[in-house]
Amino acid sequence: MRDFEYIAPKTVKETLDVLDEYQEDCKIIAGGQSLLNILKQGLMAPEYIIDIKNLEELNYIKFDEKDGLKIGATTTHRSVEFSDTIKEHYNVLSEMERHLATVQIRNWGTIGGNLCIADPTGDVAPPLLAMDATVIIANKDGEREVTVLDFGVDYYETVVGPNELLTEIRVPVIPSNTGIAYLKYRIVEGDAPIVGAAVAFTLNEKGACKKARIGMGGVAPIPIRAEKAEKMFEGEKITDTLIKEAAKVASEETTPIPDIVASAEYKKRVIGVYVKRAAKLALTRAEKAAN
Amino acid sequence: MKKILNVTINGTPYEIAIKPKTTLVEVLRNELNLTGTKRSCNAGGCSSCSVLVDGKVVNSCSVLALQVDGKEVTTIEGIADGAKLHPLQQAFLEHGAYQCGYCTPGMIIAGKALLDENPNPTKQEVKEAIAGNLCRCTGYVRIVDAILATAKKLQEEAK
Amino acid sequence: MSNYSVIGKPIQRIDGYEKVTGAAKFTTDIRLSGMLWGKMLRSPHPHAKILNIDTSKAKKLPGVKAVITSADTLHIKYSNWRRYPHLMDETPLAEDKVRYIGEPVAAVAAIDEDIAEEALGLIEVDYEVLPAVFDPLEAIKDGAPQIHEGPTVKNNISEARHFEFGDVDEAFKKCDRVREDTFYLHPVSHAFLEPTNSVASWDLNGRLTIWTSTQTPYFIQTLLAMVLGIKEGNIRVIKPHVGGGFGGKMELFSDQYCAARLSMLTGKPVKIELDREEVFIATRRRHPMYYTLKTGYMKDGTLVAKEAKVYTDGGAYNAMGPTSLYLSGFFQIFPYTIPNYRYDGFHIYTNKNPSSAMRGFGGPQAEFTCDSQIDMIADDLGMDPAEIRLKNGMKPGHVIPGLAKVGSCGFEECVKKAMESTKWKEKKGKLPMGRGIGMGCYGFMSGGVFNWIDSPYAYSAAYIRMNVDCTVDVYIGSAEIGQGSDTVAAQIAAEVLGVPMEDVKVIRGDTDSCPPDLGAWGSRQTLMTGNAVKMAAEEIKKQLIEVTASLMVPNVVYDFDIKDGRVFIKDRPERGIELAEVVKTAVRAREGQALFGRGIYTPHGKGMVSPAYSFGAQVAEVEVDLETGKVNMIQVTTAHDCGQVINKLGVEGQLEGAFVMGQGYALSENLITDEGKVLNPSLIDYKLMRAPDIPDNFTSLMVETHEPEGPFGAKEAGEGLTNPNAGCIANTIFDAVGVRIKDMPITPEKILKALDEKKKKEGK
Repeated sequence: MRDFEYIAPKTVKETLDVLDEYQEDCKIIAGGQSLLNILKQGLMAPEYIIDIKNLEELNYIKFDEKDGLKIGATTTHRSVEFSDTIKEHYNVLSEMERHLATVQIRNWGTIGGNLCIADPTGDVAPPLLAMDATVIIANKDGEREVTVLDFGVDYYETVVGPNELLTEIRVPVIPSNTGIAYLKYRIVEGDAPIVGAAVAFTLNEKGACKKARIGMGGVAPIPIRAEKAEKMFEGEKITDTLIKEAAKVASEETTPIPDIVASAEYKKRVIGVYVKRAAKLALTRAEKAAN
Repeated sequence: MKKILNVTINGTPYEIAIKPKTTLVEVLRNELNLTGTKRSCNAGGCSSCSVLVDGKVVNSCSVLALQVDGKEVTTIEGIADGAKLHPLQQAFLEHGAYQCGYCTPGMIIAGKALLDENPNPTKQEVKEAIAGNLCRCTGYVRIVDAILATAKKLQEEAK
Repeated sequence: MSNYSVIGKPIQRIDGYEKVTGAAKFTTDIRLSGMLWGKMLRSPHPHAKILNIDTSKAKKLPGVKAVITSADTLHIKYSNWRRYPHLMDETPLAEDKVRYIGEPVAAVAAIDEDIAEEALGLIEVDYEVLPAVFDPLEAIKDGAPQIHEGPTVKNNISEARHFEFGDVDEAFKKCDRVREDTFYLHPVSHAFLEPTNSVASWDLNGRLTIWTSTQTPYFIQTLLAMVLGIKEGNIRVIKPHVGGGFGGKMELFSDQYCAARLSMLTGKPVKIELDREEVFIATRRRHPMYYTLKTGYMKDGTLVAKEAKVYTDGGAYNAMGPTSLYLSGFFQIFPYTIPNYRYDGFHIYTNKNPSSAMRGFGGPQAEFTCDSQIDMIADDLGMDPAEIRLKNGMKPGHVIPGLAKVGSCGFEECVKKAMESTKWKEKKGKLPMGRGIGMGCYGFMSGGVFNWIDSPYAYSAAYIRMNVDCTVDVYIGSAEIGQGSDTVAAQIAAEVLGVPMEDVKVIRGDTDSCPPDLGAWGSRQTLMTGNAVKMAAEEIKKQLIEVTASLMVPNVVYDFDIKDGRVFIKDRPERGIELAEVVKTAVRAREGQALFGRGIYTPHGKGMVSPAYSFGAQVAEVEVDLETGKVNMIQVTTAHDCGQVINKLGVEGQLEGAFVMGQGYALSENLITDEGKVLNPSLIDYKLMRAPDIPDNFTSLMVETHEPEGPFGAKEAGEGLTNPNAGCIANTIFDAVGVRIKDMPITPEKILKALDEKKKKEGK
């Protein structure tokens, strides 16, 4: 690994000033669980590393009944996993974290860092997509809110500019009568998923689907939603048959690339299986919430 | 330009000048000659380099050393109480939970981290807690047994 | 049932304390004053001529102390094949050409790692890229690029092996049925956790000390002497604790040579430690093989004739390929009594990193095909595959004409025990779709009779010294690499001399003080080093008994024995003398000379392969996810015959570890290359099994026979256990979902594809 100049700002404001000064010459490190490997392999050799790992200002999990959930970007995966607030109101995130990578990685890696590295197989994005989450991106001049759906640009590339910092993840209040599930497929444990699907169903008074969201990872350059499949559920009673058909449509909305792990056809096939399984679990949870 | 790192390791405070790119495992093994923590893949893929930072198990090859400034690190050298082995170490001996020994320090650290957080884990929880730690010799069976046996022993002692 | 003090018991290993406290020093932990860091420059091309190497810029970089290329070597070809020089095809650094991506071309020693790394970038190598060939079946065609020149190499075939007995062609004619299948076995890595590494220190007396992570200290000593042009006696090889070998550390490697040479040139210690990527791309791997198997059988399930034709992907150099080639043909007929057999194997060069020994040494490949095909035969005949195995199983004393005589053999009992324990009859073919039960079997060598290294020494040797306080020092040259061989040696000495384990010290891993031993490979150390230790201990025992007899002066000639600190009359155990007193008297009686015993072991007249064979049967259960093809291991039960178990904890540990390695081999591990480039050289992208992936339940059943060739009747328990796993899993999957994958690894994608094709055929 090439050496670098090291700056550890004490506040968010200081961080934004430093980013503005160095822009493309610097790179932010939080937990570094992905970034350090990139640096070790020589894929990147920034002159300055801006260390935000110990920025307590961005280490928080807040919830209120109106604004919903706010997670600071440097909150570790493990904090999200164990948070009582999250278990109570957004349990799918705790479940997702419990199986993300390995304990060692979760203890040091951050939820913000995971989104910013933008590995298309990442676990964090699909459930956030299923909950219509947004992120806050700040720079010296202010901040903007971007949906997680619009956050990704391409493999390992996001809308965060060279002088910008992801500061917060926001998840709206989950409507009542909602069930959410995230399931992922991998061949050996501790590994990155091959594909993953998050499904959220909100039921209306009649028990039919009011809103459906399907977030998918590992099947496109960025995390995506199966918007055509989602529409199939709206207003309908969710049956096994409908789930099966929608899963097929969701699979067709994907553009996975083949790699050394699996072929594109296999990924398309398996995402369909996992959309179906996640949908069934989400439905069970939604029905339970409705009763 | 070197930076100063202040860190407590196994209860002893250290002040070391290091290049910013230095990872925690390099500080331990190269600067301080604490070679109990092993480096096997240097990419966070095998967890042989597991240590505790403020009680949490991490891959020390994937932690920028300067990030542990002001924190407490525990390595395998700090697990025993002087000459008295930690119950986990004792259990590893009794269950034959090691063969070549290269993954053993990391496994014991991960096991301790688990039992400190979850004193009564299920077999599945133990397996998930060491999912990051690769072992090529034992097949994990006796490592899981040793951790479960230690949990049981510690629970009984607590009564 | 024998009444041993320590043999057969679950004895705690003797190297435990240092391993669980992190005090155990591995070569990676060695730090010497003034130590330089070495790094290797490696070829980026799979096949190229080296036109010129310019190291001048690298040499000038401040902090660089030496840079070497082949010009700084004696250009001596080496390998373990000293008895067969035509097979010695590797030089310490590439000479006129490179033959695989990652082949060492130069080495640098500098004051720190960063400078060494930078220096590598300053070495300028002019290559002329040559056409390369990667598939062995392409490499043997006329017109394929020739990887090596030489009178014994043609069409890239460096070695062929042929053996046969009976009359295969006649036998096939008489069979009721004949089937032929071709299987593909893929490359996998040893993935030992301690990377290949060494620290070499040349002192100005002209002596070299090298600490290195190796399975064969003597090989390193003798081959370094040859390649460096210095005397063996001036080389001290120290083997600290070793973080795994599995066959991947039983040869001299370029980086060991380079550390030594750089130290000689700089007068400073030099450390070379391969990073994980280098370990994947530039160390050895298991032989990929195209394995065609033809078997003739009768309708009642009798196996009559087999013909195997194997093309192995040897990679760029021979390494231990010819042995793998031979054993893959030999173990094809284990553990069954096949009266007619013909084997033709070809070791083929390709432009990839060399394939070499890996746990099982060709056996796992052979058994995969053997076990798969037996189950196919069983399916064809509507018979229980366990019954076919029992019908054709080897028995004690079985003779393989011209090749081997089987001594003890508990195969039949292994199969029956495994069947009983797993309720085989109730489950086979009767579990719901997606659940299955299957079997794999094996027989394996307890050390090879081979001496390709051309050592004039006994294959194993031991010196033992017994001190007046009854502590025992055992000096052995065997290599503890995690398998527990030091503990086994201590147990044997402790048992013979009647002392507790705490009083036995094993001195090993230092060629200055320990006798030569061929090292850890071919699962040899329990039997061979064990026999040497036993012989040495018995020499001391004899001296002690002589002294006791003269002290006790019994009026009848009695036999004595030693146990639990006493020397006593066997038939009158209450009459005896404390061991401490006997030892002191014995020392005094010999003018104060310490009690000393020497033991050696070299197999004589034990056939062409091994003095003894282990046997076993493995039964596993799986659940296959019908929508994804993913295989979940439910349980595995193994019945293993290693003769007399020396250490129960050790054998069970080997069994469990071997299965998980085999599970990875079958289902997820794969060293993926494209045009000679390894695409997944990391422990993240190379998929090893992790704790949550292992079967929920492991059952180990010991079948104890008595092997006269082995110490206390013991046989191997290290490599044989990796032979049945892949075939067992393949058979289990077939029982679960009715599809058979012959092309390893058995990935979920392949299973799903096969299921689709099956459905199509069945018209669904």
